[in-house]
Amino acid sequence: MRLSIVKRQEPLPGGSFFILAGALVFSLSISALLLALQGKSALGGLYVLWHGAFGAGYALVDTILKSVPIYLCGLGVAVAFRMQIWNIGAEGQFAMGAVGATWAALTFPEAPAALVLPLMFACAALAGGAFAFIPAWLKTRLKVNEIISTLMLNYIAILFLDYLVYGPWKEKRSFGFPMTAQFSDAAVIGGIGGSRLHWGLVVCVLAGILVFVMLRFTRLGFELKASGSAARASRYARMPYDALVWTVMAICGALAGTAGLIETSATVNRLQPSVMAGYGYTAIVVAWLARLNPLTIALAAFFLAGLRVGVENLQLELQVPAAFGNIMEGLILLSVLAGQFFQTYRIALRRRAG
Amino acid sequence: MDRVADITVVRLEGISKSFGAVKANDAIDLDIRAGHILALLGENGAGKSTLMSILAGRFRPDAGRILVDGRETVLSSTKDAIRAGIGMVYQHFMLVPTMTVAQNVLLGQEGGFWLNRGRMEARVAELAEFFGLAIDPAATVSELSMGERQRVEILRLLARDSRVLIFDEPTAVLTPPEIVHLFAALKSMANRGKAIVFISHKLEEVLSLSDDIAILSRGRVVDRVETRVVCSKAELASRMVGREVFLEVEKEPLPPGEVVLEMSGVTGFGLKEVSLTLRQGEVLAVVGVAGNGQKALVETVTGFRRPATGKVNILGREWTEFFRNPDWKHALAYIPEDRLGLATCPNLDMVDNVLLTTRQGFTRGPFMEHGRARQVTADMVRDFDIQPARIATPAGKLSGGNLQKLVLAREFYRAPRLIVAEQPSQGLDVKATEEVWRQLLAARACAGILLVSGDLSEALQLADRIAVMFRGRFMDVFPVSDTAKVEAIGLAMAGVGAGH
Amino acid sequence: MTIDLLIPLLAATVQAGTPVLYATLGEMVTERSGTLNLGVEGMMLVGAFAAFLASTATGSPWVGFVAGGLGGLGLAAVHGLVTIVFTGNQVVSGLALTILGSGLAAYLGTPYVGANTPGFGHLPLPLLADIPVLGPVFFRHDALVYVSYVLPVLIWLLFARTRLGLALDAAGENPAAAKAAGLSVPGLRWLGVLAGGFLVGLGGAYLSLSYTHLWTNGLAAGRGWIAVALVIFAFWRPGRAVLGAYLFGGVMAFQLRLQASGTVLPSSLLLMLPYVLTILVLLLSSIRGRVKNAPAALGANVEPEG
Repeated sequence: MRLSIVKRQEPLPGGSFFILAGALVFSLSISALLLALQGKSALGGLYVLWHGAFGAGYALVDTILKSVPIYLCGLGVAVAFRMQIWNIGAEGQFAMGAVGATWAALTFPEAPAALVLPLMFACAALAGGAFAFIPAWLKTRLKVNEIISTLMLNYIAILFLDYLVYGPWKEKRSFGFPMTAQFSDAAVIGGIGGSRLHWGLVVCVLAGILVFVMLRFTRLGFELKASGSAARASRYARMPYDALVWTVMAICGALAGTAGLIETSATVNRLQPSVMAGYGYTAIVVAWLARLNPLTIALAAFFLAGLRVGVENLQLELQVPAAFGNIMEGLILLSVLAGQFFQTYRIALRRRAG
Repeated sequence: MDRVADITVVRLEGISKSFGAVKANDAIDLDIRAGHILALLGENGAGKSTLMSILAGRFRPDAGRILVDGRETVLSSTKDAIRAGIGMVYQHFMLVPTMTVAQNVLLGQEGGFWLNRGRMEARVAELAEFFGLAIDPAATVSELSMGERQRVEILRLLARDSRVLIFDEPTAVLTPPEIVHLFAALKSMANRGKAIVFISHKLEEVLSLSDDIAILSRGRVVDRVETRVVCSKAELASRMVGREVFLEVEKEPLPPGEVVLEMSGVTGFGLKEVSLTLRQGEVLAVVGVAGNGQKALVETVTGFRRPATGKVNILGREWTEFFRNPDWKHALAYIPEDRLGLATCPNLDMVDNVLLTTRQGFTRGPFMEHGRARQVTADMVRDFDIQPARIATPAGKLSGGNLQKLVLAREFYRAPRLIVAEQPSQGLDVKATEEVWRQLLAARACAGILLVSGDLSEALQLADRIAVMFRGRFMDVFPVSDTAKVEAIGLAMAGVGAGH
Repeated sequence: MTIDLLIPLLAATVQAGTPVLYATLGEMVTERSGTLNLGVEGMMLVGAFAAFLASTATGSPWVGFVAGGLGGLGLAAVHGLVTIVFTGNQVVSGLALTILGSGLAAYLGTPYVGANTPGFGHLPLPLLADIPVLGPVFFRHDALVYVSYVLPVLIWLLFARTRLGLALDAAGENPAAAKAAGLSVPGLRWLGVLAGGFLVGLGGAYLSLSYTHLWTNGLAAGRGWIAVALVIFAFWRPGRAVLGAYLFGGVMAFQLRLQASGTVLPSSLLLMLPYVLTILVLLLSSIRGRVKNAPAALGANVEPEG
């Protein structure tokens, strides 16, 4: 008897669910082991994690708020990934969006909300989108690999943000802390009906619907799907490849930039280095877990936001380092990637031929 | 028979192999004998390649046994097969193009840790000379002709002292003189005691080369004969399919219409001074051995390669102007050789694949009319009898014939006036070939067809005029009724006797 | 600039270029056998931490050095498992590996932040160190720098002169041909992934054992990604990898000198230099049009046998 790998005739029904469940169980087990390794109670730790993320109303609101930037970035990343454009640059585009919005808020401190907020949205989307044009230009004109160019631009954008808050935009009375002045009330995205849930959520819903409709019903969506599915065939069919690259980069940049705006305006109310929390990287995990589908991205974003909030709780109560969240993100993504194998193949026992 | 050795090297007993519901091999028995050339004859899809892949250790059989030198042997990897002395020359050469001849020959061979380039090349040169396969061991494979690459493949097997050499359609990529050369080499190898298995569907080649013939059909060996008792091609053909078929389609010449394609003096990217005129209602077949500039010709006409020098006019418009924003309808359709990788996306369903080149016709504002596209696809499935008839089937799940029908249906939906068809019946069975040919002939009513084919009988069946291509040049262009020139096509394909 | 100023700068260039060189060579070995592993940054960090831990625990920097390699190898094994065994997407797996690796290093390393470790000391080579100019630039460093001088030669020998190197190249150029020649493509790719991971881990070990002698978070600071870019710049050839690594070493050393000299330029802008240079270098390579030198099957998984 020996094991052999057999290709399935049809993909495993309900496969994605089993794979996700299996990947979760696996990742949680390893994480628990890591907790135990540092002398923490493994089960207790996982409970603190769960409770901190979804266990109470307050925690749930935190999780929802954190899923806002992750969702917007994830949406953008997914659009690019659909075309097999490996845009890792959501993090940098997020930073540039935050910078763009901050510029508008700081330049017009007296303007009413009806003027300054739309201006901030425009600046954030433009800054993020324009920043994403750099790798698009490098890729289409000079065939520079977008994975590396977007990654390098992340470092550059974050350093640029640092430069601004340490230098020209630093508030005089900040006692040396790198931060801008607080935004005027008009430049702050407020809560919905006085709750902590802010209007950024509505932006998410709108963006989600737009992207969904774009992907599902428009010619652009079809061309993206076809180009991502087979590059040679799309060239044969005369898909406007370069224009599509520019488009997906613009969309991703605008979405990530908007996420930067919302995080800066609604959550922090000013620009400071701590707005850069790695949402752009989490977005990649989210997009892939959700199979690049705009609806499931919402679920995945909520889930990974919960993981982040839970880890904060873990940090507070059990002094577990924040990097614990990264480990779990990496593990979940890796195990889902490996698990997808079982959707196309199965392991069979067979007698030796002969 | 007075051969060096007449012993059975490899015996297959009851070999069966299925892929899903398809029985590719069904209880096959076969003896492969030293010093003999065994021809394996059969239509595409008869199971020849599967059987040989089993011998080469690429697939494992579901049932049956393989005896090597009388001992039962399990060939569970290529390595096992190589150890058992079985080697295969694949249709698509298994060479590393960036490496030299000597490196390719010795790749995977056991030996010391270090490589000595000089000694390696000397050894390959010696081997090449012994078997009369002239080649420069230091040359890089990517710079070799197809014939030379095949020699590298053969040398690789000989370097490992393979006793059974399997050739999968080895003549498909060769010029007639190279074929003569190959056959001489095969005979000399047989005389030195090697067992040769020659897979082919070309009757005349099988007759002129082999000692024994095994005919495969639908996964079974249906007949086994000694070549010397076979009198004629016709007899062999009737043994092969149980009835005599020489595929013929009726063709009535159409009055030539306006000029749809005109090329003059196009040179560059492997083309030399190519000029042609193609009119509506006409089929111009470009024949020649693969790799003589057909690719560059097709890419130029279909807009994927800008002509370096010379003029190209399509539907009365200059190349650059035509391709700046080509109309999706009433213009150009391209039926490529690579149906799965180029003409369709394997993962997308039939509807999306139809939309691939017709999407401009299903657009309203920014939106796509998916409902109408589904309707049109369903019509195509019905009109062209595409199986399975479910329009949600991904293109990758269609058989070669059905996929080609889908591509034809889609491209004809665009009502093209210029059609470029590349090897349109390659890999299709008789029935599907006949349908494809019929469809192409019918399309002449509105279009001029540029047919690029490696299959002479296809060209003769469909074409009004024939252009023979050699090293990027048209050796000759003549009407198919010119029998003297048709007779000499083989020579012209090899660059002999330019007819002008 | 006078020679007296230039020599220390060049010596610092070699130091700063060394970890990038290890990582670039490692990724090169992996890519030439056909696997794209974007997890270099994560492997470097895990290597750096493993080296720090082992060196602290045993007091022997050499044990630390090997442990660093093994750390990188361990993480690379995860990539091998996901892409070679389970045929997962190589790009995404590499990204996940970076997330996992930086997480692991930061999580396990938190208690040690700021702690010192016995690292490598300067070891001027007798005679060679006294050669004018060349001596101070190349031969007054620690042992790991000297190891990095030999490494490109060894890797060049591997690919140009050995049967194994030929087989690795075949697995990266045309896996089907390698398989038809009786080679085990998964085996070769495993070897490429693991050996590459080991070398990348050594680069990480250099960071904690030679460069800083202590543990801090985010020690790699994008060097892993720069290494990925340098493999392209190097056209997958070890000789050019040396050139690329020292180019980066030069920019990093220059930038540090400038900061230390109290320039008016803000440090955030100076810190951008290596990243800007990476993009420029890629741009130059693609203008030279040699990207086609990439292993033909790079990034493409091989289907399991059925």
